[in-house]
Amino acid sequence: MPSGKESGAPNDPAIAVRNLRVQYGQREILHGINFEAQAGETLVILGGSGSGKSTLLRTLVGLEKPSGGELWIRGKNFASMPENERKDLRKKMGMSFQGGALFGSMTVGENVALPLREHTPLDESTIEIVMRLKLDQVGLSGFEDYMPAQLSGGMKKRAAIARALAMDPEILFFDEPSAGLDPIIAAGIDELILKLKKAFRITILVVTHELASAFLIADRMILLDKGHIVANETPESIQKSREPRVRQFLDRIPEPEVAGEIDYLQMLTGESPPLRR
Amino acid sequence: MQITTRQFESATIVDVVGDITLYNTPEVRKMLLNLLKEKRVKRVIVNLEKVKYIDSAGVASLVEGLKVSREMKSGFALFGLSRMTREVLELTRLLKVFEVYETEAEALLGGSSPTGA
Amino acid sequence: MPFAEDIGAATIDGLAYVGGLARLTGGAARAVFAAPLGGRKLKWTRAVHQAMSVGVEAIPIVSLISFFVGTILALQGAYELRRLGALQLVASAVAISMTRELGPLMTAIVVIGRSGSAFAAEIGTMKVNEEIDALETMALEPINFLVAPKFLAMLLMMPCLTTWADFMGVLGGGLFGVTNAGFTWGTYMNATLSALVLRDIMTGLVKSVMFGLVITAVGCQEGFATGLGSEQVGRSTTSAVVKSIFMVIAVDLVFTAIFYFTAPQ
Repeated sequence: MPSGKESGAPNDPAIAVRNLRVQYGQREILHGINFEAQAGETLVILGGSGSGKSTLLRTLVGLEKPSGGELWIRGKNFASMPENERKDLRKKMGMSFQGGALFGSMTVGENVALPLREHTPLDESTIEIVMRLKLDQVGLSGFEDYMPAQLSGGMKKRAAIARALAMDPEILFFDEPSAGLDPIIAAGIDELILKLKKAFRITILVVTHELASAFLIADRMILLDKGHIVANETPESIQKSREPRVRQFLDRIPEPEVAGEIDYLQMLTGESPPLRR
Repeated sequence: MQITTRQFESATIVDVVGDITLYNTPEVRKMLLNLLKEKRVKRVIVNLEKVKYIDSAGVASLVEGLKVSREMKSGFALFGLSRMTREVLELTRLLKVFEVYETEAEALLGGSSPTGA
Repeated sequence: MPFAEDIGAATIDGLAYVGGLARLTGGAARAVFAAPLGGRKLKWTRAVHQAMSVGVEAIPIVSLISFFVGTILALQGAYELRRLGALQLVASAVAISMTRELGPLMTAIVVIGRSGSAFAAEIGTMKVNEEIDALETMALEPINFLVAPKFLAMLLMMPCLTTWADFMGVLGGGLFGVTNAGFTWGTYMNATLSALVLRDIMTGLVKSVMFGLVITAVGCQEGFATGLGSEQVGRSTTSAVVKSIFMVIAVDLVFTAIFYFTAPQ
């Protein structure tokens, strides 16, 4: 436990999560999560829908407030730090949203250049070169003057990755980077993630349910199920796991149907709550 | 980061010490543009031996230097790339765009018989 | 007593809503006025862009509506004044009602329909598309980035539009005056100018500024309150229009009362 430590040392983990709880209203989504991501590591968070993986990601980037536990980013307590420090830290973090979340009123180029224009004193010519470099890295050279609405879903996603890369972040978060993309473009994104890891030593955290992509890019995998971590292992060891929840997810076994006829009748007539998670 | 220049015959060598990042890349840019546009030097050679890391904004200044050198019909070369610098230039597909040499001697020679890298 | 409870709950909700508006306005004011001192960049280009869409593009419709309202005022006024044999007072009746009341109010109604709804729709769409979340993860405050330029644009454009509406209303009244009340354009304008005092115009402009604040705050607040799903954007837009109209009329009542009771006898 890095208690009382306020300044980041080089050997601090990039992300440390201690007994993290998050709830929406009365419903608790994450029930005490613990894990660490070392600097330069690529961590893949797996889980089905409703496992809490998106909530975990939103909490890590500061969009949801934890209801309990601690969140340390680069050796600093993210939840309790003053607002201006949190802002400085956020400039070193990049987030690629599932649907892109590009600003519809700006061109693709303006989207990518925005963090640089707002946060750095760089000359306009430098900003434009960086913007074109980033667009080239995601295979969108020449699209800087397009509006987001003119792009396909996959292109939007890649433009969003370019924007997340604009400030050369130390930690990159991806929400479902390859969901809904055709296999070739999805493979391109996996390759980009591997390259970024190699060239920039970025800590990368990917939330996904695409198994093939996860095994390709991960240094370590975390499997979330109903708000609990059920596995936190290397891709090699998770494949050999005998834990039933892990096997179910990896072998794509569907959820068992409701147990008995009585339960089923009660469920249909509304006598029992449908969700007993 | 520190940046100094020295003259060797017709070439100007720019020695950079320290990482080039978005916080100091404007200095590098200013120096390169000043040498090429105002002083109109024949050939600029950037010494990156003491640069461990260069980020995208740093790369952008080198790209702008290269662009201006072409407009002014001057030479522009890099040498002494660290492993990380090389990887960054490789990722951005710029390793083949720049004239890159291993050592200062090679970079100086490269100017008289431009064979590229 | 469920009825009393309902009233109490509604009152608390209403106060909380107004509190939210005040917080938004305060945050934007800090971004507009304190930002240069704090070294944060406020994007003037964005404010100018907003000012164009709020102000300049509204000129044709504001002109037409206030011209008509001016003519209507003249017709209604003349109906009564004719019986008193005081038809020449129609110029001052139009001038005073336009500058003190209907110029600012009609402008506000047009701006609510054009811009208040657009603010709610823009911010609501951004909310639904996770763009507001994206701003936050990029360490850009939505208030500085989205709301402040809108306030600035409104503060600049509402008085300008209102002044223009006053003028068009006077012209509208003049149309009746010249064709039916024995004025020439020259005598109508003279009658208008001698009827007005600076205080009439100023009270209208003060109101217009207050209306601008209310419209922006409500539009943005409704945008930020948009729930999940794109059909929610439509709901926010409608609600922004209805609430803005109500709030503008309420603010109008308060300020008209203040101006009445503080007026020199």
